[in-house]
Amino acid sequence: MTANRIFTGLSMILRMLIRQKIVIILILIIPAFFLTIVEFTTSDRVLPFQLASLDDDIFINISEKGISFIFFAVASSGFLVSFLGLNLIQKNNIVNRRLIICGYHPIELLISILLALFLVISLIAVYVGLLTNVFYPIDHLVRFILSLILIGFVYGGYGMVVGSLLKVELEGILMIVLLVNIDVGWLQNPLFYAEAQNQIIIKFLPAYFPSQTAIITAVTDYSATAAIVNSVLYGSIFLFFSMLIFFYKMRTK
Amino acid sequence: MILNSEHIGKSFGRKKVLKDISFQLEAGSITGIVGENGSGKSVLMEIIVGMRNADKGTVNINGGIGYCPQKAVLFPQLTVQEHFIYFSVAYGIRKEQSKRRCEELLNRFNYKKYQHEKIINLSGGTQQKLNLSISLLHEPDLLILDEPYNGFDWDTYQRFWHYTNHLKTLGCAILIVTHLLSEKERLDNIYELENGVLI
Repeated sequence: MTANRIFTGLSMILRMLIRQKIVIILILIIPAFFLTIVEFTTSDRVLPFQLASLDDDIFINISEKGISFIFFAVASSGFLVSFLGLNLIQKNNIVNRRLIICGYHPIELLISILLALFLVISLIAVYVGLLTNVFYPIDHLVRFILSLILIGFVYGGYGMVVGSLLKVELEGILMIVLLVNIDVGWLQNPLFYAEAQNQIIIKFLPAYFPSQTAIITAVTDYSATAAIVNSVLYGSIFLFFSMLIFFYKMRTK
Repeated sequence: MILNSEHIGKSFGRKKVLKDISFQLEAGSITGIVGENGSGKSVLMEIIVGMRNADKGTVNINGGIGYCPQKAVLFPQLTVQEHFIYFSVAYGIRKEQSKRRCEELLNRFNYKKYQHEKIINLSGGTQQKLNLSISLLHEPDLLILDEPYNGFDWDTYQRFWHYTNHLKTLGCAILIVTHLLSEKERLDNIYELENGVLI
């Protein structure tokens, strides 16, 4: 394994991403679009609610607009990163195979892909965090951006699993939209979650811990350590499976 | 001997595509494999280069291998030059040598003017020139070419054969899949793949 191969791979992957106009357009437009919709459709009514990760006697008082901004920031980050994870793994599968036959080790290629994904996750998290702060001042902006990196890590891993399993891009996008919509876009909304009949199912979905982390870090002074650790664990499981499938597919005989 | 393959067999479901195929390639030789569409020529090439598992049999290769797949396998968003850099790093070629080879191949196949163009903007023929060039970049001992001249114009086709003969004189063993029987006289050995057997 050589650093030269990893950094050449990283450099080429980033060039390919930047040159795909649709990727840049999606990254810039989707969060701005989501947050603008929230601005025009939600009220300033204060809604006290409880979070599953905090004690039972703790109520968070925040406006409907405020919680919606945080919630949609998480949702748009999750969707974007998951789409990019899919794109990175699935799109150049056959050429990556050729690179491996020519001498690249699958680990070198995978590290390049993961570094590219991590860079993109960080950029998206910073952009979405700052953009959310424009619409609604976040109490702890840096911690909030870190929580967006966590949702990126979990959903980036999910995107990579889907990209490793499915050959066709459209099927992959549908799988992503389906889970993002149900999980981050609906069930993890604290306003829905507080009244949900069966909270156990919701707790097992990928966005549960990152969403809890985002809300706790953005508007409270409480510790989110447990939610952070669980988010990292969840993301690592996705990553592990995507790596296994990647190695299986990229192996040479 | 550069390549020794023995008793290769491959089935897809109930269909036996390759049955007990054995052959050898010597250094400095050009061997052709002909056969109808779907006869398993590409599958045999993929087994030799390690892209596919055989159900049975062994393949032994002495030396570096260059493989040019039938369809251009390239990154649409990267330029020609970036492909040379990426694959040079994969082959472990030093920077200076890579630059020299890149220059040589661009001139030899007459597409230097496209070196800064993205693949997505290139014609099929120019993509195929790069597809072939990548397999030649590291000066391999064994060259496996799966219908490498699809989309080539007459001039490039002539350049291709001129260079292939030059490689032969340098001791390279070349295995080429073709369906053009008119190329018979250019080949040292020719096999026909029919019903999964080499004739």
